[in-house]
Amino acid sequence: MQSVAKVYGSGDAAVTALDSVDFEAQAGEVVVVMGPSGAGKTTFLVIAGALLRPTSGTVEIAGIDVTRLREKDLPAVRRDKVGFMFQSFNLLEALTALENVRVVIADGATSGRAAMNRARELLNMLGLSHRLKSLPKQLSGGEKQRVAIARALANNPDLILADEPTANLDSRRGLEVMRLLRQIAIEMDKAVVVVSHDHRMREVAHRVVWLEDGRFRSDVVTARDPVCGHVVEVESAPALDFEGHSYYFCAEQCLKLFSANPRRYAGPAR
Amino acid sequence: MLLVTRKNLFSERSRLAISVGGVALAVLLITFLLSLYRGWNDKVGRFAEGVKADIWIATAGTTDFFAAGSIIPLDRAEPLSTLPGVERWSPLMVRPMTATRGSTEFDVHLVGYDPESNMGGPLLVKEGKAEPGPGEIIVDEALSHRYGVDIGDTIAAGGRDWKVVGKSSGGDFVFSQTVFVTLDQAQEALQMENLATFVLLQLKDPSQREQLALEIESAQPAISATTSDDFAAATRERIMGDLVPILAVILVLAFIVGLAVAALTIYTATVEKAREYGILKAVGFGNGYLYRVVFEQSLITGLLGFIIGAGLTVVAGPMTQDLVPQFVILIRWQDVLGVAGFTLLMVLLAAYVPTRRLAAIDPVEVFKA
Repeated sequence: MQSVAKVYGSGDAAVTALDSVDFEAQAGEVVVVMGPSGAGKTTFLVIAGALLRPTSGTVEIAGIDVTRLREKDLPAVRRDKVGFMFQSFNLLEALTALENVRVVIADGATSGRAAMNRARELLNMLGLSHRLKSLPKQLSGGEKQRVAIARALANNPDLILADEPTANLDSRRGLEVMRLLRQIAIEMDKAVVVVSHDHRMREVAHRVVWLEDGRFRSDVVTARDPVCGHVVEVESAPALDFEGHSYYFCAEQCLKLFSANPRRYAGPAR
Repeated sequence: MLLVTRKNLFSERSRLAISVGGVALAVLLITFLLSLYRGWNDKVGRFAEGVKADIWIATAGTTDFFAAGSIIPLDRAEPLSTLPGVERWSPLMVRPMTATRGSTEFDVHLVGYDPESNMGGPLLVKEGKAEPGPGEIIVDEALSHRYGVDIGDTIAAGGRDWKVVGKSSGGDFVFSQTVFVTLDQAQEALQMENLATFVLLQLKDPSQREQLALEIESAQPAISATTSDDFAAATRERIMGDLVPILAVILVLAFIVGLAVAALTIYTATVEKAREYGILKAVGFGNGYLYRVVFEQSLITGLLGFIIGAGLTVVAGPMTQDLVPQFVILIRWQDVLGVAGFTLLMVLLAAYVPTRRLAAIDPVEVFKA
């Protein structure tokens, strides 16, 4: 992305969601984009995925300048070059795990043994060989996210875009998904861009960038809110000292919860 | 069929049943009405078509079998037999009336015909005597079936009693049936000696009937000379003319009902699946794919509804006819094909509004939890 800006509305009501940002993700790396709510992360993600046109600037995906393409040509680019993972998994409820992956392969036609085999192969690779015929409502959160990963990989895209992939998962499954994303990036040579509040994503990231007020900032010092786990910018976060340590919070509510029972969140005395 | 189509359609069976049921009921009603129209149309004109006459002579103003108010003195009709081209002629007495058997009343057309010429007599005697004798009558089999009149029974018509000696076919007009006696018996019963309602002419060259009919009317303005084709058509029009607009309105209503049910169920299904369609858009499916999903769903609903509706007509039609004899149906494959076309139009229209909804779905919305 080069000098990408996105402005919603006009005149006095104009809102700048992205302010001339430059961004690059290479094959084989995991880039985590963090930032407070309203920073422009979702706008960044949908523009990166050719779902939304920027007000200005250019976006290239695997060498294709999508900002020059016609609207009707963008779905094909998304299908072939981009794999999406959503916070709510977003599987099709009437389709089995296998069918959810199979449907996005090629043109989604019901024929195609090759497409079915590829879908099966991906799900087996992700440890879901025993869940191929399960409907989404029969899957756990971690299994759903793995089906979503398989779907994102179905057409062998160059870019994986993940929106809060661990938000609806418990810690164990969240860790599994994070490690899977790193493995995919490295072993399958994909560029993986993750938008997340989850501090643990730093552990699997090759790079972490901070997006705030529509701009990337490189001088940000961050900390993890001990109550909710969100990553917050130290400079602007509510803070509290306890037993010689400074704790930073995403909001006053988390601070109050901490104050009411600091031992619970800060851990045993050191 | 697309995978998404099949899965969406058959995963919610109650919705599928409702939409298919709505289409099936519309198809059933449309097919029934069309078949009813065909059946009646066939019945009411069959007798006039079957009579072996090329020209029907009546007093001016009478051009069909039902408005049988014509009275022709036979001495005025006889000269017609000497016209060039006329092979033979025969008088026919026809009077609509109410007949009775015991306490049961029924509408009939009393037909007095000349057994020697057999013109205007029973088209086909199915049972009993081929010709009625004095005091004897042949009834149409539809009358026999509907009112339980059998050979050997006595019915009263035209002021006297008649013994039923035979059953014929081809004289069922749905609302009335033919009963046959000899001409002289009819004239005597009705006190219309030397009179007839119609004079039937059979020509040496039937292709000349139109020409001859014109000549007769020109020579005798008080006479109506109608070719057999025109006479049968006018007979049909007499009965069907007022019914057709009513049937047409009901057909339109049936179409609208089927369209409404199909459109509403498909539209609500589309709205409920809006998020999933947004997901498909986000992962790279264009509007064309989604339109195809909706149209396929609609087409399959229509196909299933058509098969059930048309099938029910074929099965239920004869059963209904047994229960309600007036319900005369005639199922033609051309009409079934026509109904298939109507059904296709119905489901295509039903799919149109949802496709507009699909086009408006913003895939960015799926990024909201």
